[in-house]
Amino acid sequence: MALASSVYLTRKSMPSQPGFAVHAAEGPPRLHRQNMRENWAPWLMLAPTFFVLIAVGIYPLGYSLWISLHDYHPSNPSFPQGFIWFDNYVKAFLDEQARHALGLTAIFTVSSVAASLVIGLGLALLFNHQLPGLAIARTLILIPMLVTPIAVGITWRIMFNPDLGVINYLLGLIGIPAQGWLASMNQSLLSVIIVDVWQWTPFMFLILFAGVRSLPRSPFESAAIDGASRLQAFFLVTLPMLRPVIVLAVLLRAVDSVRTFDQIFMMTRGGPNLTTDLISLYLQRVNFKFFDIGYGAALSWLFLILLMIAIIAFIRYSGFLRGAAEREAQ
Amino acid sequence: MNRDVSGQENLPARDLSVSAPWDYRLRRTLTILLIYGAILAALLFFLFPYFWMVASAFKSPGDVTTYPPVWLFSPTLANFDELIEDMGALSALRNSLIVVGISTCLALIFGSMAAYALARFKIRAKETIALEILMVRMLPPIVAVIPLFLLARKFGLFDTYWILIAVYTLMGLPFVVWVMRVFIQEIPRSVEEAALVDGCTRLQVLFRISLPLMLPGLAATVVIIFMFAWNEYLFATMLTSSAAKTLPVVAANTVKPRGIAWGVASAAGVLMSLPVVVLALIAQRYLVRGLTFGVVKG
Repeated sequence: MALASSVYLTRKSMPSQPGFAVHAAEGPPRLHRQNMRENWAPWLMLAPTFFVLIAVGIYPLGYSLWISLHDYHPSNPSFPQGFIWFDNYVKAFLDEQARHALGLTAIFTVSSVAASLVIGLGLALLFNHQLPGLAIARTLILIPMLVTPIAVGITWRIMFNPDLGVINYLLGLIGIPAQGWLASMNQSLLSVIIVDVWQWTPFMFLILFAGVRSLPRSPFESAAIDGASRLQAFFLVTLPMLRPVIVLAVLLRAVDSVRTFDQIFMMTRGGPNLTTDLISLYLQRVNFKFFDIGYGAALSWLFLILLMIAIIAFIRYSGFLRGAAEREAQ
Repeated sequence: MNRDVSGQENLPARDLSVSAPWDYRLRRTLTILLIYGAILAALLFFLFPYFWMVASAFKSPGDVTTYPPVWLFSPTLANFDELIEDMGALSALRNSLIVVGISTCLALIFGSMAAYALARFKIRAKETIALEILMVRMLPPIVAVIPLFLLARKFGLFDTYWILIAVYTLMGLPFVVWVMRVFIQEIPRSVEEAALVDGCTRLQVLFRISLPLMLPGLAATVVIIFMFAWNEYLFATMLTSSAAKTLPVVAANTVKPRGIAWGVASAAGVLMSLPVVVLALIAQRYLVRGLTFGVVKG
């Protein structure tokens, strides 16, 4: 991998480090010994991070790739069962439920991110006024994103209860009949999206607000002089200038929504009738309920590859991290 | 209200001086009222569930399932009692503190060193290395949990602190490396070079000169990685069974197939969320930078 190759490159280049002559051209001359130390020091400092990355990240993922080529059922005494090449992957492509779960995940992620972007942007603009009390309100509104997802799931499940829940009670006060929410096949997906939007819109707001705050004044002044309405100023000045921040916020939010597990596991466990069975819940069932570990590993890898393609496409398309690359070029 | 009076020649001078300030003031008052109204609505939506959780935690078992819901009730600590007596919340709290505390420290130490190397030294492929570290943030936990579960069993690490510490350290590293890298890049090189000229080693420069200057960055990352590790459930439930189980696992155990013990579950939620909410609200000005990997300034 790239990690290994970069280590190799530096090792190779170390003995051939030129002496004083080149150094004089680069900057102030230093002792040769000092220079040697400079060369291994950064790798020494990176070593613990690499160790954790390899031991807890890359090694288990590689192990998972190996498992995915096996028919692996730990409940069966004669495990691991034989090497079956890509049978698990073939199975995954034919798996209706996996496709269903991926589709649900896509709907869930796109609608949740879109809704929290719109609400978060609205809140960011709303809070961008100099008025007493807004600072406290701004702090309090962050609470949902800090609450443990497990607690979020439990609380909303209690509130969504069709018979005794406070939400149906409050809706009843304004004359709306009781809804089924999580228990209803038509509303369960909407309900879990509402919870996700509730929890993560503050995150969106926090980042977008920082972005709005950092906008320079002059473009708005010239837009006003040119006679732009507030709406025009928003679409022609605010949005384009916020673009990098929006892209970053959307990326981070989407990455989190795709992996959502805790809240939904607490609220519905994928039900009723698999209407909230996102990919992470389906994977959990394959592994820890059906104990089809080999298949679970194959499915995980396919999911991972799909996710990476989506992330890389998004980064390429949006130009995210271009700033970082420019920093390095300097 | 309308300012579309375009026929200037028809407009007497008096009209402008009288109506314009009134016009302006009315519009301003209406705008302010609208802003406050919208913010109030947002606050209600975003705070009500938390309020409801806290309220349910202090309700007696009779009050918590009453319909219509009771708003005024005599608070009780019975739910917390049950949580501690029957659910083992205290040992879970201790486990959480140990696991999250150690992993946060490790991630900070390892990550800061890596960030320093990436920010200050000329090494090849450093953007690639940084991106590979960032990829950890993109990795869905459900994908990594099965191989980690199997390996933990194989190496006898299942249901120990070590496996959770290792996983949470890895989870924290991308935040530390990225945020600290940005903060270190903002420290002027000349300060460090002066110390080098005076005879400090690179490590001395790191600990005596740069580290104190990096404290805001460290504060930002501590809050973030503490929060993510403290709230983590999937690894905690899959990689432990009893000895090392953390608070979120206990909280999830209040949900049983036949239903939830509403009061106890809410009490667990309050116990769990309180440290993070307090910590994050105190350090909220660092949150933005931490969450965006140092890219956006709060």
